Amino acid sequence: MSDLSPFDAMPDPVLGAALRDALTLPHDGAFVARVRARLGSRDRGWDDVLAGWFWQGLVAASLVAFMAGWAAMSPGTVMGELPESVGAQLLDGARPGSDLLLTAMAGNR
Amino acid sequence: MTGVDETELAARAASGSEEAFGELVALHAPMARRVAYTILEDQEDADDAAQEGFLSAWQAIGRYDPKRAFRPWLMQIVVNAARDLRRRRRVRAAEPLDNVAAAARDDPARDMGAMDLGEKLNAALATLPERQRLAVVLFDAEGYPQAEIAKMLGIPEGTVKSDVFHGRRALRKVLESVKEEWDE
Repeated sequence: MSDLSPFDAMPDPVLGAALRDALTLPHDGAFVARVRARLGSRDRGWDDVLAGWFWQGLVAASLVAFMAGWAAMSPGTVMGELPESVGAQLLDGARPGSDLLLTAMAGNR
Repeated sequence: MTGVDETELAARAASGSEEAFGELVALHAPMARRVAYTILEDQEDADDAAQEGFLSAWQAIGRYDPKRAFRPWLMQIVVNAARDLRRRRRVRAAEPLDNVAAAARDDPARDMGAMDLGEKLNAALATLPERQRLAVVLFDAEGYPQAEIAKMLGIPEGTVKSDVFHGRRALRKVLESVKEEWDE
């Protein structure tokens, strides 16, 4: 028997079990077989079939967009694609010819 | 719930798999039939409504959002199917209800001693308004949260709380009377 107050916000397991027993109808197997046999007779419209693929399509599109974003934002790609500036070439003392370039630019003044 | 992944089954069903939907039917048939019976109080009508609910869900499964739980989505369709059938039945000439429910309606004070617990609970349920019956069955027997029941029935959560309170009060009287009989 239930000792819970009617104000409880939690389900009453005793009352719940008694209700399930009282309301459960017999022959579940026959019912399920009957419904399964009728699934084929209820054709789904083309819009419902397409809608069935909507979520899979959305996931696939999100994945593609994510991978494209990942490729564009990866550091190797960014540095590899940016042209090296003239300033960086002048400051690179190890680069052959950088001193000649500096002298030529200074001589023009 | 068994170990079967319900979301996976629903996704396969949405892609057109009758077999996957059939598994969902087998999983949820007992609950769907109980909920329909709570509304209609007649076994044949309850089965017709539960079947209509499953077939409607099959037709609409493409619009099911897999981010939401499948069970409340399905149960809302079953509730609507049962309510539609009840409306159609009301339009028709009056028909005999199930024996126990009809007896309770005709004479709520009839000899309850001759009934078993299940019959007494059904008789007590039959005296409650439909919304109270549904609220207490969905909450206590089927384990839905009150907020989910409110969404399912299209009523405020406070109304669900109130319906559960009043429904429980009537049903607990039955449980207590049976306990007293057993104690004697």
